[in-house]
Amino acid sequence: MSTETELLVAPARKPRRQKATPKKLTAGQIAVMAVLAVLVLIVASPVIYAFLNSFRSYAEITVDPMGLPTQFTLDNYIQLFQQTDYGEALLNTLIITVATVVLLVAIVPMAAYGIERVGGRTSRFLYILFIAGLMIPFQVRMIPLVKGFDEVGLYSTLTSVILVHLGGAASFGILLYCSFIKGIPIEVEEAAHVDGAGRLRTFWSIVFPMLLPVTSAFVIIQALGLWNDFFIPLVFLDSSSAGTINVAINRMVGLLTSQWQLIYTGAILAIIPSVAIFAAFQRYFIKGMSVGAVKG
Amino acid sequence: MTDQSASQGQTQVVGAAVRLSGGGPLDGAPEGAPDDVSFVPVGPEREQRRTRRFRSARWVMLGFVAPALVIYLLMVIVPSIQSLQLSFTNWDGISPDYEYVGVRNYEEILTSGRFWNAVKNTLILGLGSAVIINAISLGVALMLDKVGRWQGFFRTAVYLPALVSGFILATVWKYLLNFNFGAVNTFLRDAGFPEWARDWLGDSSIVVGVILFITCFTLGGNTTLIYLANLQSVPQELTEAARIDGANSRQVFRHVTWPMLAGAVTVNMTLAMIAGWTIFDQVMVLTAGGPGFVSETMAFFIYKVGFGEYRAGFGSAAAIVLFLVVIVSTVAANAYMRKREIQA
Repeated sequence: MSTETELLVAPARKPRRQKATPKKLTAGQIAVMAVLAVLVLIVASPVIYAFLNSFRSYAEITVDPMGLPTQFTLDNYIQLFQQTDYGEALLNTLIITVATVVLLVAIVPMAAYGIERVGGRTSRFLYILFIAGLMIPFQVRMIPLVKGFDEVGLYSTLTSVILVHLGGAASFGILLYCSFIKGIPIEVEEAAHVDGAGRLRTFWSIVFPMLLPVTSAFVIIQALGLWNDFFIPLVFLDSSSAGTINVAINRMVGLLTSQWQLIYTGAILAIIPSVAIFAAFQRYFIKGMSVGAVKG
Repeated sequence: MTDQSASQGQTQVVGAAVRLSGGGPLDGAPEGAPDDVSFVPVGPEREQRRTRRFRSARWVMLGFVAPALVIYLLMVIVPSIQSLQLSFTNWDGISPDYEYVGVRNYEEILTSGRFWNAVKNTLILGLGSAVIINAISLGVALMLDKVGRWQGFFRTAVYLPALVSGFILATVWKYLLNFNFGAVNTFLRDAGFPEWARDWLGDSSIVVGVILFITCFTLGGNTTLIYLANLQSVPQELTEAARIDGANSRQVFRHVTWPMLAGAVTVNMTLAMIAGWTIFDQVMVLTAGGPGFVSETMAFFIYKVGFGEYRAGFGSAAAIVLFLVVIVSTVAANAYMRKREIQA
C-alpha cells in the first residue's frame, strides 16, 4: 500500500529492488522466513534460558534445570547489587566505555585528517605505521604494558584500561576515517581557509561534520566492543578494583560457585545496555555497517 | 554498485597492510621518487601554490596527528618491541631484574608438546570458526536477500543475538553444559537418552570440539551484514541474463553470485581468522585450558604462562611466535584468496 503511494509521489525514482517483488509473499519467501525465525530462536536460546532463570532461585534451578519461573520476582537483581560488587563494576564499565569513545572521537578523526593532508611520503609512512597495528595481537603487547603501568603506578586503574583501548582502536579508526577523508574535496577547506578560519577550526567546523556517517559507525562499533570486552580489563584490573561487568561475572563464577541465579542475572544485565545502544542507533548502525564497514 | 566497488577498496587496504607489515614499512616506496607525485599534473601554477601552502601547514597537520600518534606508539609499538626484547630474557614478571638467555625461550617453546598442542587448538578453533562462521553468515545473508519487504525486520532479528558478547555466551554455556544440573544433560536424561549425557567440558576427547561449537553458535552479525550488502550490489541484469540462458538457481549462484562475492569473502575470512588466532574468552571461561592443558590456545597459553606461572620472558617469546603466525597465515590466506578472485 505504502509502496504504491510512494511510487505515485516520486515516479522518477528507481524503485528499490525488494519493492519490485510482487506484493503477495510467495511460498518460498514464507519458508525462508520460517527458517530464519527458527534459527534466531535457536541461537538466542541460551540467552532466553538465562533470562528465564534470572527469576528463579538457586534451589529451583538445581532441582529442575528445565523448569519455568513460577513467579515474577526481582530478588536476584536486588541480591546481585547487594551481595556483590556488580554495581561498582557497572559504573566502571560505563566510565571506560564513555571515556574511551569520547577520547577516540577527539583524537582519531583529527589524526586521520592530518595523515591525509600532510601529503607525500610522510602521509604514506604514518598511514602504514597505524595500519600495521591491525596485525599486532593484544597478547603481543600485554606483558610489557602491565610492566610499564606498574612502573608508573597506573596498574589496576581505569586509566590504564582506557589508554590500552585507545591504542588498540586507533588503527581501525585511522583505516576507517582515512578512506572517507580521501573523498572530501580540498577546495571546501581552502574556501574556509580564505575566510580566515584557522586549520583547527576548519577541521572541527567544516570537515568533522562531513564525517558524521563514519563517526556514527565508528562510535557504535567501538561502544559495543568496549562494553563487551573481557580480556583487557581482566589483565589490567586486579582484585583491588571491582573490575568491569564481565570481570565481575567471571569472579562470581570462581568464588560463588553455587550462585547460578546471580550469574544468569548478571549476564542479562550486561546484555541490556548493548541492546539499548543498538536499538537507539539501529538506523545508523545498519547503514554504517553496510557503508562504513564495507567501505572501511 | 557503490557497495561492490567500496568493498574492493577495503580488500585492497587490508592487502596493503598485510604486504607492508610483512616486508617493512617503506617497502614499496622507491628511493628518490618525487615527493608529491599526486600533486604534479593539471594546472601547474595552482598546484605549486597549493603545495607551498601545504608545506607551510605541514607542522600543523603533524600536530593534528600527534595526540593519537603518541598514544599509539606508547600503547602498541613500544610494548611490541619490548616484548621482543623480553622474549630473550628469563624475567619472571615481578622481580626488578632479569638476565638475557639468548634464544633459550624459543628453543623451549618449539620443543614443548604443550605449546604445539596450543598451536593445534588455535588452528582448529581459528580456521574452523572462520570457515564455519563465514558459511553460516553467507547462508543467512542469502536467505535475508530473499525475504523481500520483511528484510528490515529479519535483518534486525538476525543481528540481535550478535550483540551478546562471546564472554557472556560462554558463561551461560558453561552452566548449560554442567554435568549434574546443566540444561543439556537434564534434557538428554529426560528425553530418554541418559547414556548421551556426558561431562562436555571435562572430557579431553571432545572438549575442543565443544568450544568450537560454542564459538560458532551465531548467525554472524557483522559478517552477515557485509555479505548482504555485497549480495544486494550484484547487478540484477547479470542474474537475469543467466536465467534467460537457462541456468538453474544453483548454477546462477555458482557462476554469477559467488564470483561477485569474492572480495567480500576475502575480507570476511581475513577478519575472522585474525579474530580466530587470538581466541581467548571462550577458553578462559569454559575450561581455563583444561582438563590439564588439553584445550589451551596460543592466546590462553601466553596469558597463563606470563601471569599465572610467572614466566613473563617465556610468555613474551610465545607472543612473538603468535605474531609471526598471524602475519604469515594472513599473508598466505590473502594471497590464495586473491588468486582465486582473479580466476573467478
